[in-house]
Amino acid sequence: MPVSKDTLRAMIRDFHGFELSDSELDLIEPELNNYLAEVEKLRELDLSNVMSGRLLKVDEGGNFDG
Amino acid sequence: MANEDLLKLTITELAPRIRAGEVSPVELTEAALARAERLQPQLNSFITILHEQARSQAREQEAAIARGEYLGPLQGIPIGIKDNLATAGILTTLGTRVLSDYVPDEDADVVRRCKQAGAIIIGKENLEEFAAGATSNNPFYGAVHNPWDLDHVPGGSSGGGAANVASGVTFASLGTDLGGSVRLPGTFCGVVGLKQTFGRVSQRGLLVTSFNGDHIGPMTRSVSDSALVLQAIAGYDSLDPSTIPVPVPDYSAALGQNLAGLKIGVPSNYYFEELDGEVEETVRRAIAALQELGVTIREVSIPSMEYAGALNIAPMADRIVTHEPFIDANREDYGPDTLYRTLAGQFVLGRDYSKSMKVQRIIKEEHARILTEVDFLVTPTSPVPAPRIDAPYINMEGADHRVRGPGSSLISRNTSPMNATGLPAISVPCGFTESGLPIGIQFIGSPFDEAGLFRVAQGYEAISPSAGRWPAIAD
Repeated sequence: MPVSKDTLRAMIRDFHGFELSDSELDLIEPELNNYLAEVEKLRELDLSNVMSGRLLKVDEGGNFDG
Repeated sequence: MANEDLLKLTITELAPRIRAGEVSPVELTEAALARAERLQPQLNSFITILHEQARSQAREQEAAIARGEYLGPLQGIPIGIKDNLATAGILTTLGTRVLSDYVPDEDADVVRRCKQAGAIIIGKENLEEFAAGATSNNPFYGAVHNPWDLDHVPGGSSGGGAANVASGVTFASLGTDLGGSVRLPGTFCGVVGLKQTFGRVSQRGLLVTSFNGDHIGPMTRSVSDSALVLQAIAGYDSLDPSTIPVPVPDYSAALGQNLAGLKIGVPSNYYFEELDGEVEETVRRAIAALQELGVTIREVSIPSMEYAGALNIAPMADRIVTHEPFIDANREDYGPDTLYRTLAGQFVLGRDYSKSMKVQRIIKEEHARILTEVDFLVTPTSPVPAPRIDAPYINMEGADHRVRGPGSSLISRNTSPMNATGLPAISVPCGFTESGLPIGIQFIGSPFDEAGLFRVAQGYEAISPSAGRWPAIAD
C-alpha cells in the first residue's frame, strides 16, 4: 500500500512536518513501507473488543480471537 | 595473581577478595585503565575514558575499605556507563554530534546508585547514535568492533559496554534497552545481558528516549554478576513515575538451586521463524541440555505474535516526537541512518498508534496467560549472529534484510517484543558459530521475577559451551 510522494508532501505541508526533498523521501521509504505493511496486516484483525480492562479470551494453541 | 589476570575474574569472585584487602581497588583500576587504553584502538569501545576520576574513586574506595566501611560487592569494581546515561560534570554525547559538548549537571539515578555502591566508573561507552540501532556503527565516534572478530559489529545500541565486558576491560556495564540494546550486544559479544521488568529500575537520567519500553540494564560476564548489579540499581524512585514500588528481593539468594521441576515454554511460532541455521541448531541444543537438567520443555503457541511487527508503530511515532526539538535545531548534525529512520515517524497516524497499543495489549495478555502455565519462555536472542561491520544487508532465505537505518528490524525481532510487554528477559551465551561468533539464548520470565530468571539462567550458564571462553583479544 504505497503512499505517493505527493500525499507525503501534502502531509508535511498541512501538518507542519519536517521538509523532505525527493531524494530524502526515498531514504525514508523502507521505514515507511514497514509501517504501511503492518497497518495493512492489521486490517484483517478485529480489535474492536480489545479494551484495557477486558477479560482474557485467548486460548493457547487455539484460534486467536483478537 | 597478576593484576591483568584479575581482570578475568567475575565480580562474584573478586568482591570477597577486595573486602578482605587481598585485592587493591587502586591496582585493579590501573589494570582496567591500562587495558582500556591498549584495546581502544581496536575496539573503539569508549567515547570518554575517565582516567583521573576513576583513580580518585578507587583511592576513596580503597581507603573506605581499609576503615572497615564495606559497601557491598560492587565496591572497588571498575565498570562502564553507556554514553546516553547522564553523568554529572562528564561529557555525555549520546553518540551524536548534536550533543557533542553536552555535560549534565546531575547523575542518572542508576549512576548515583552505582557510585553509592562504591563502583569505579572508568569511562563512558560508545553506542549507536542516539541509541537508535543494533550495530553500534557510530557515524561520528566510529564503529565499535566485536572482540571476537573485529570485522563484525558488537551489537547495539550498547555495543561499547558489551565489547568492554567481553574483553576484560570492565566487569560490568550499564546499557539501555529499548528494543534489545542490552541483550543484543550481550549475545553478539558473548556476555550476559539483562532487561529487567519495566518499572524495576529508574530511567531518570536516560537521555532522549521513549515513553514506551526503555530500560536500563546490566551487561556482565556471569549471571551472578548480573544479579549483583541489578541489586544495586533496582528500586523505586519517587522522582521517576515509571518505577513501581515493589520490594527488591535478594537476587543472589535464588542462585545455585537446581532446575529440576521447572517448566519452560518453547514458542512454536514467531521466535523460531526467520532464523539463521547455526543459531537455531545451537539454541535447540541448549534447550535439549536444559531438559537433561530436569526441566520440562513444553511447546507453546503465541498466535498474536503474528502481529508483533505492529509493536514498532508506537516507537516510530515516539521517536519523531522525542527528536523534534533536536532535528529543529541541529538537523545537519544527524547521521543519515538515525535521521531518516526518525523522520519516517512523522507520517504515523494516531489511529495506527492506538491500534498498535491494542496489539501490545493482546500480546501482553497472551504472554501473561502462558506464563501461568510455564515458568519461563525460551527463544534465540538474535535470529542471526553478528553481521560484518561493512554489511548493509543480511540475506536470509533469499531475502535481503537491512542491518541498520530505515527499514531495519530483523536483528531485534526476538528482543523488541519484551520491551512492549515489559516482561523481564535475560540473554545468556549458549555457543558459537563455526566461524567463532557468539550465540545467545533468551529466557523470558514473569513480571518482577528476576530472581527466577537468574536461577534458570545460571543453571544453564553452568553447562553452556560458552563457559570459560574468552576472545583472543583479551589475552
